[in-house]
Amino acid sequence: MIPNLSEIFSLTAPEIVIAVTLILVVLVDLIWDKNKVPAMFTAALGLIVAGVVILNGMPETGMIPNNYMVVSDKLGLYFKFIIVLTTLFILLFTYDSKEIIESHLRQGEYYALVYGMVLGMFFLTSAVDLILIYIALELLSLSSYVLAGFSDKETRNSEAAVKYLIYGAISSAFMLFGISLIYGLTGTTNLYGVNEVLSTTVVNIYTLGFAVILIIAGIGYKISAVPFHFWTPDVYEGSPITITAYLSVASKAAGFALLIRFVSITFIDHVKADGEWILNGAFDWQTILIVLALLTMTVGNLSALWQKNIKRLLAYSSVAHAGYILLGVAVLTNLGLVSVMIYFAVYMMMNLGAFYVVMLVANKTGSEHISQFDGIGYTMPYAGVALTIFLVSLTGLPPTAGFIGKLYLFLALLDSNMLMVAFIALLNTVISLYYYVRILKHMYLKNVAEMPEKIETRGYSTVVLSLLVVPVLFFGIYWTPLIDFAKYCVEFVIK
Amino acid sequence: MNLYDIIFYIFAAITVVSGVITVTSKNIIYAAFSLLFTFFGVAGMYVLLGADFISIVQIIVYVGGILILLLFGVMLTNKVTSTDIKSGSVNVLPAVIGVALFAGALISIIIRTKWTETPGEIPLSTAGTLGSVLLNEYVIIFELLAVLLLIALIGAASIARRTKEETN
Repeated sequence: MIPNLSEIFSLTAPEIVIAVTLILVVLVDLIWDKNKVPAMFTAALGLIVAGVVILNGMPETGMIPNNYMVVSDKLGLYFKFIIVLTTLFILLFTYDSKEIIESHLRQGEYYALVYGMVLGMFFLTSAVDLILIYIALELLSLSSYVLAGFSDKETRNSEAAVKYLIYGAISSAFMLFGISLIYGLTGTTNLYGVNEVLSTTVVNIYTLGFAVILIIAGIGYKISAVPFHFWTPDVYEGSPITITAYLSVASKAAGFALLIRFVSITFIDHVKADGEWILNGAFDWQTILIVLALLTMTVGNLSALWQKNIKRLLAYSSVAHAGYILLGVAVLTNLGLVSVMIYFAVYMMMNLGAFYVVMLVANKTGSEHISQFDGIGYTMPYAGVALTIFLVSLTGLPPTAGFIGKLYLFLALLDSNMLMVAFIALLNTVISLYYYVRILKHMYLKNVAEMPEKIETRGYSTVVLSLLVVPVLFFGIYWTPLIDFAKYCVEFVIK
Repeated sequence: MNLYDIIFYIFAAITVVSGVITVTSKNIIYAAFSLLFTFFGVAGMYVLLGADFISIVQIIVYVGGILILLLFGVMLTNKVTSTDIKSGSVNVLPAVIGVALFAGALISIIIRTKWTETPGEIPLSTAGTLGSVLLNEYVIIFELLAVLLLIALIGAASIARRTKEETN
């Protein structure tokens, strides 16, 4: 059944806002071709409008599966909201980024490409048709390949773009193959349709498993889960820092939204009253997700121990965090879903903040090597304190928001009686403490001058930094609003 | 084996052989020309599957447009034709094992699985149906593809201007 035009408009309202603004950004950039401020304001304004549309749309989401390509439910809108917030912060960062400002003439393209990413991610969070999922994934990837190699100062920029492109092309080829196998098995690309076929007829389990693993390869690449993470450190190191931060938060959010959507629509039978998901038994999601999650967090944390470049270190730390979040998906309960959503909100703030401080330091020193951070705690006191808070939060210690994220994750694990898994995750947290604290050691204990010379930071940077520090501390002490919002948004369309 | 099968295998052979030449040839002109035959073979398969519109588009766009553009690009930049393409191979053994395992899994799956079959007769012309399906059921995908092309254009322009800025 094809919905009529007004129904399509209401289903895809945020996407339409983004698509229109994308074209506006291009036009505005052509009209004022020397001055890049109008394009930036258009981009920011479009995001704010999209955010308002998302929040407005939340109470009136249609809960009926309409057998169409997109659904509009609170879960999707929540992830879209996270993506909008992240993008707004990235625009704020961009204004302060030396790398992007230096390529002044191409800034219009930069905003247009960021919008391309946003549009792709929006569709990923709400698509329920495999063809649409693939196209949205390609849109997201294509924009991010160009953005990864946006600046051209060092060879590592181009290296990042090419590596990202090659890995991305291979993983999307895998995913496309998986999609074609599923289509061959079930005769439909609609996820509801696939679910119906899987629960009514007997399909070849090996073929289905193979197809699903190929699709996991595509999604795993986006969320940089081990063993699909090899591109992560190189691309994160070579990209402009704004884009690195963006890839590590927004792109992952979209990937996780897609994973949750794929599992919850295609393989779910029903949701029990206590929030446990009963799958239709065609594929053992729990085992594979737990194995992936444990591998991801362990490899991420152990590799991060030896990194000398902060961007690489944060890249491996983001791999590890993807592992924690995967555990939240793996419990396959509504409580697990709440913990994923909380973790993402928290992860957005603390990870963006950490990358922002790295960017501020790299702006002054021109490098992200860990030795550049020696004595930063005294020469840039506010940035030093802020980075300390973000790192403590990334570790997951109170009184920061990161603690709440981890707390709810472990609660969800214990609720499903996964003691052993929770224990391994806890051990991983302890390992991560080492490399986070090592940055602190460099900031406060190494090469400290007798009379440290203060490095001036702009007032603008201080304000942006405060926008991230304050919520991390606030939600660490008073987290009820965050939890309530996440619980309000756990409402998704199943068959 | 009837006539249909024989024609299919001819086209399949053209596609595969020229595909192999494309990847292995050290001369970029040879590679581009053999890519032409790959596209042509694929177009032939589309015809055999009854997808007349797609096969025509395949010939017009890929063989007629993109490939000619590619050849012009190669011929106009003499730097490309004169330099040998660097195509060394590393880690041959692990790659062979991995690819062989993957191919084995694929082949066994393709043979063993009972695929869904939808009975239907091959329509005389697919263009009309295709158009109405694209603009009704798949209109979101259609529009999204337009944005995808726009982004590809912007991205290409951005990459092209990257080096120009450096010389300024």
